Amino acid sequence: MRRISIVITLILMIATLSLSVKTLRIWAMGEEAKNLHIMAEKFMKENPDVEVKIQAIPWSAAYDKILTGIAGMQLPDLIQMGTTWMAPFGAMGVFEELTPYIKKSFINKDMFFEGSWQTVTMDGGIYGIPWYVDVRVMYYRKDILESIGYDHAPQTWNELYEVAKKLAKRGEKMYALSLLYTGVFGNEFMPFAWQAGGRIFDENGNIRVTDPEFVEAIRYYARFFWEKLAPVGGANVLQDFAAGVVPIFFSGPWMVSLIEKQTPQIAGKWSVALMPKNKKRTSFVGGCNWVIFNTSKHKELAWKFIEFMTKPENQLEWYKIVAALPAVKKAWEYPELANNPIIKVFGEQLKDAKSPPNIPAWEEIANAISRRVEEAIYRKRTPEKAAEMLKKDIEKIMR
Amino acid sequence: MKTNWFWILVFIGPALALLLIFLIIPIFASLFLCLTDFNVRAMVNWSNAKFVGFRNFIELFQDELFWKAVLNTFYCLAVAMPVTVCLALMNSVLLNREQTKLKTFFKTAFFLPFITNTVAIAVVWAWILNPHYGVLNWLLGIFGIEGPNWLGDPKWAMPSIIMLVVWKAVGYNTILFLAGLQNIPDFLYEAAELDGASSWQKFWYITLPLLKPTTVFVTTMMIIGYLQLFEEPYMLTQGGPLNATLSIVLYLYRQGFKFFNLGYASSIAVVLFLMIASLTILRLKLGGQD
Repeated sequence: MRRISIVITLILMIATLSLSVKTLRIWAMGEEAKNLHIMAEKFMKENPDVEVKIQAIPWSAAYDKILTGIAGMQLPDLIQMGTTWMAPFGAMGVFEELTPYIKKSFINKDMFFEGSWQTVTMDGGIYGIPWYVDVRVMYYRKDILESIGYDHAPQTWNELYEVAKKLAKRGEKMYALSLLYTGVFGNEFMPFAWQAGGRIFDENGNIRVTDPEFVEAIRYYARFFWEKLAPVGGANVLQDFAAGVVPIFFSGPWMVSLIEKQTPQIAGKWSVALMPKNKKRTSFVGGCNWVIFNTSKHKELAWKFIEFMTKPENQLEWYKIVAALPAVKKAWEYPELANNPIIKVFGEQLKDAKSPPNIPAWEEIANAISRRVEEAIYRKRTPEKAAEMLKKDIEKIMR
Repeated sequence: MKTNWFWILVFIGPALALLLIFLIIPIFASLFLCLTDFNVRAMVNWSNAKFVGFRNFIELFQDELFWKAVLNTFYCLAVAMPVTVCLALMNSVLLNREQTKLKTFFKTAFFLPFITNTVAIAVVWAWILNPHYGVLNWLLGIFGIEGPNWLGDPKWAMPSIIMLVVWKAVGYNTILFLAGLQNIPDFLYEAAELDGASSWQKFWYITLPLLKPTTVFVTTMMIIGYLQLFEEPYMLTQGGPLNATLSIVLYLYRQGFKFFNLGYASSIAVVLFLMIASLTILRLKLGGQD
């Protein structure tokens, strides 16, 4: 009898203890998931009554995992959400609208880069807070460009084209730049459209892909393939870059460490530069946002964690851990970022960066863009015709 | 004797439940879904889906990309099936000869692609098929042939996929044929030898007719398998270039799980099911009247 009562009191004690400790469940992906515990421990030190549980999900399985999580309503409190996934998952109606939280917080719109903030706004509401960003810039081989007489990266569309012509003349099977031509490359193509001043929709929701600016972008993009300045057929960007076969490509910040690790033989021979300018130098901005699920029982706590991660000093700390670019502008003033010549370029490019329309149909539109641009690349249609077909596709999708 | 339903349920219940939840209910769900416009907004709140009758099918039959996918898939079937059968049959006959050395090694080597993860295979094949530094074009170069841009050329992309698909399927079918060959009694060959039959005659008049049950099974399974072509183009080309390798299932996947047009995707599934079912029945009717 005595023993039983001891057991019961023990159980009760544990129960009350676990009740007073609130658990915050977070789903995170990739490198972030592996290192987020460092930040979580710091957070728990500041909030001793909180236990943060991080579940790591590999990027390759994340999409399905979130989808099944939503379908079965088995969701964490807080999740790391890729910017391009905001719209489709957001449309399912499980994201918490954050305007009331922002009203009583230090977090506000102006802290973040404009393009990045664009990814959390949908249908007039705010459904996430930017965590880190990635922005595409131009990677180029300094030594090879010097060998053809350029001591700087191509600055404009015309200059990029001239440089490309010269680079391809270096010999048989030599190319200038690497561009995507198959699969879904809406996010890779759109910067060119934006640079030319093109857009998919105007303010009134009319489809504007047949505008001369958009068509100009298709032609500019496809011409690199027509004139064999960009390779076609399963090449490896990193190897080609190191071998000098393709001395220019456009990509995000993750490439910096990949080049350093996988192709150390070209250390010091490469650099990054802003996107080439036509009317603008606009690039694509992606990255990850924090999203609270409206099924969560600890929304205030989840918000507290978001606030914690948004503080500039913690943004800097996170940058030091996984080299993810801070979404908060103020964090870019720290010398670690401001004095790094490569990172500085990303910071500069972020001031002129956009994200595609934040609508659930974007994936479908991106597919249509890729299909029609591809037809122009393979000369199945002229850029004008491709744009007309694209307009019809988008009309059908938006219906 | 009284049937004891309780024990029947205890023993087959779990299996039955699994079958019901993961197979039968989804099948009927997709039969129902194909008549609705179930999309991303209906994922959580099902009441957002509307009943639309046969609109999905009407749209599907006017969908240029769907027909392209159908054409591509049948192209793959029409080339890959005979090639796989011939290669598998050849391999199995060679493996069945008494004189053949290193049988276990060859059996393992042929079977290995079948059990290897397609993702890993696709990565390796992407390198093999690389136009600039791929092994295949290097080999062709030795013979003075300039290899094509395998995955980059719309004309060659599907043949590349077929190559991979056949390579993967040959091993499995070789083993099936081998089992079939070993069921053929030796005395038939001995009798034929006494009658002075050549080895070609023996193959044509004994081996082939007696292998018929195996051939029917193998080709039926191939129809079912090849019409569901998905992993290889998904991993290697994502359907490109110019949708030359877009297969029916890849298109279904795109519509259903990328665009969340689950109603539309279900109608593709239903059409695909009808295609597979009718072809399988046709094959069994043609081959099964002994």
